[in-house]
Amino acid sequence: MSIFMPEILSPAGSLDKLKVAVLYGANAVYVGGQKFGLRTAAENFTTDELKEGVAFAHERGAKVYVVLNSFLHDKDLVELPEFVEFLDSIKVDAVIVSDLGVIRTVRKHSSIDIHISTQASTLNVEAAKLWKNMGATRIVLGREVSIKEAGKIKREAGIEIEMFIHGSMCMAYSGNCVISNFTQGRDSNRGGCAHSCRFEYSLEDLDTKEKRKAYFMSSKDLEGLRVLPEFIKEEIDSLKIEGRMKSHLYAGTMSKVYSEALNYYKEHGDLLSDKLLSWEEELRKVSHRAYTEASLVTPAGKDSIFNERENNPDNQWLMVGTVVETSPESGIIIEVRNAFNQGDYLEVIPFVGEAFTLNTLEMMDLNLNPVLRTKPSTLVRLPYRENVSVHNLVRARGAK
Amino acid sequence: MKYISYGTSKHDLGLLKEANHDEVIFGHRDFSRFGKLDDEKLAELLQEAQKLNMRTVFEWDILMTENVFSELKEKIVPWLDQFDVLRVQDPGALEWALKNTNRPLQFIAENANRNLEALQGWCDYIGERLDRLVLSIELSKTTLEEFLSKLKVPCELLGLGRILLFYTPRNLLSALNNGDKISYNEEISALGESEESPHKGFPIVENKHGTFMFHIKEFCLLEYRDELAKMGLSHMRIDLRWEGLHYLRDLDNLKEVYPQDLMRGFFLVNKTDVLFPKLKNSRLQKREGNYLGEVIEVEKSKHLALLVKHPQGIRPGMKVKIVHPKGEEFEVTIHWLKDASLKEVDFMSQHRLALIPYVGGVWVKSHLFIQ
Repeated sequence: MSIFMPEILSPAGSLDKLKVAVLYGANAVYVGGQKFGLRTAAENFTTDELKEGVAFAHERGAKVYVVLNSFLHDKDLVELPEFVEFLDSIKVDAVIVSDLGVIRTVRKHSSIDIHISTQASTLNVEAAKLWKNMGATRIVLGREVSIKEAGKIKREAGIEIEMFIHGSMCMAYSGNCVISNFTQGRDSNRGGCAHSCRFEYSLEDLDTKEKRKAYFMSSKDLEGLRVLPEFIKEEIDSLKIEGRMKSHLYAGTMSKVYSEALNYYKEHGDLLSDKLLSWEEELRKVSHRAYTEASLVTPAGKDSIFNERENNPDNQWLMVGTVVETSPESGIIIEVRNAFNQGDYLEVIPFVGEAFTLNTLEMMDLNLNPVLRTKPSTLVRLPYRENVSVHNLVRARGAK
Repeated sequence: MKYISYGTSKHDLGLLKEANHDEVIFGHRDFSRFGKLDDEKLAELLQEAQKLNMRTVFEWDILMTENVFSELKEKIVPWLDQFDVLRVQDPGALEWALKNTNRPLQFIAENANRNLEALQGWCDYIGERLDRLVLSIELSKTTLEEFLSKLKVPCELLGLGRILLFYTPRNLLSALNNGDKISYNEEISALGESEESPHKGFPIVENKHGTFMFHIKEFCLLEYRDELAKMGLSHMRIDLRWEGLHYLRDLDNLKEVYPQDLMRGFFLVNKTDVLFPKLKNSRLQKREGNYLGEVIEVEKSKHLALLVKHPQGIRPGMKVKIVHPKGEEFEVTIHWLKDASLKEVDFMSQHRLALIPYVGGVWVKSHLFIQ
């Protein structure tokens, strides 16, 4: 009997990140065009890049979902039909929507599958049934729903279910926070979220008049690696990693860790392995807030509140670059994002298997001059070795 | 246009009657975000409202995960025949009510639903059972005017009351104290001041449904009552749950005596998307058309390195336009082309690293376009 396997759905804020996510194991990616999504500040995809991204993903057996989950006003809807027809023509696998007007527009102008965004805060069986009646093929559940509840929703509503397994979390029910709208003049549900929940608030208790300062609305980050078997048991169709604004390192590491864990489970039927600790170590190497399982098992309690200022821990690993060319003739050429020195301990993260170290004793620039310290936005040439590929990510501990 | 409000006591019902309201919303503490009525009190008030010939509305506006929903759909059954209208916000509550009750339904469409297509979608889905749509306070006057002229169903808008900014099921205030969950009847209130905002005194409430934060000012469109009535608004909601229904006695002069600062939000104009272009480096948006690639290294007097993005690749002799991150443009012909091993080549394909002659003034992240 074959074990049910969910898809790993990774964020791709740009075409490069799409390639990284797919090459590192994502079964599907979600992306945004230049409009209609919630990440206005992200690089996002041009139509040419969408075309290329879909072709790249499909060639490797991965799916592409496009976000149209902004709360669109009438003027925003004007250009939507043309974009939807374009998405249909390039065979995008689904669109992610949160608004009934968008659903109806997509249905009128295409045959693309419709996924209901977490922005719609779908939390129960009856809500899932309603969206199914509206034409949805999948529900991205609100992060407040437990895995057990999600299983019930899938069984009773008879619709595909997607849940977040990793990443930053809104403290509010998604789509139910308009702080930015009224305090910054930026519509949080049209891509202008100012992350007001991450700031410190001074709170005065109205009964005791006691005052205190706290980051009381800031949530820890979700991490669901250890409950992966529960997702599988409940046959949750898709496990989503948050973070279209996040780095290449994030997109690659998350895709790799979760897909490797899933494959291990498929082979062994459990996660009882030393590998679990190494996967967790990998997750900790990427910039994050303290982790929580939030409401995946029981409703999120007080320990799910981050209550700290955003910071970068000292032991953080940084992506120092990506491999842009490799051959015996040219050596390994890295596009440097964060500086490093000759002799520094670098790790290459291969698409499959464990990270390995890279010799930095012989560093050269492109014109073959020796380099002692690299600079961001330059290229550096290292000696060739066989198991390094274009798009591999290179990281270093505490690189400055 | 009619006015509607919440009732929490017999005294409230008297005030509503006095103000000629013929409909009252009741908030049961299990079903309504800020409901304070228990079973006994609700039964008593339903009876009293019926005596006063008032239409009774049962508010079920909390959002519910499946476990909470399962409990509540059992708990609401005894009430189904006792009120006139059911008012829902969670789409699950709407779906359940459509199938399991015969009550008229008021749908709170304050979240999302900023376009006519969506609102018409709800009208189509709920059909004749739709008693009223509750519209978003973020709709501008112009938009409201258009929507009200096209929607064939009665619509309601908040006329006075708190602006809800944030709603979470998590207990955020009690967590700061001892972390014990608050008891069934308990409510904790605080005033918040954010380090990022000049505004002070955001009211924050925690109750059994979670934590809510409101704007420091209340929403008020009372001065536009006649205009909204002419546009076709059928109901204006006056939410005085925090300040008291006695303010209903003189809505014309309310502004002068009301204890809270008032605002009209986005009623005159909603420009909450105008800052979006500034959130993004405009250079990033110009990658359509003949986009050839991005400069990833500049070696002064020697070369520019780029990753080739165009399917046609790059060849010597090609005329290109280079656009600097700050917008300055350079038109050049590529005289030579080298690969990563510094060998001169006649062609470099898409996705490969290519070196071309240095062009003074060009920076990393400049974009190249085929001319």
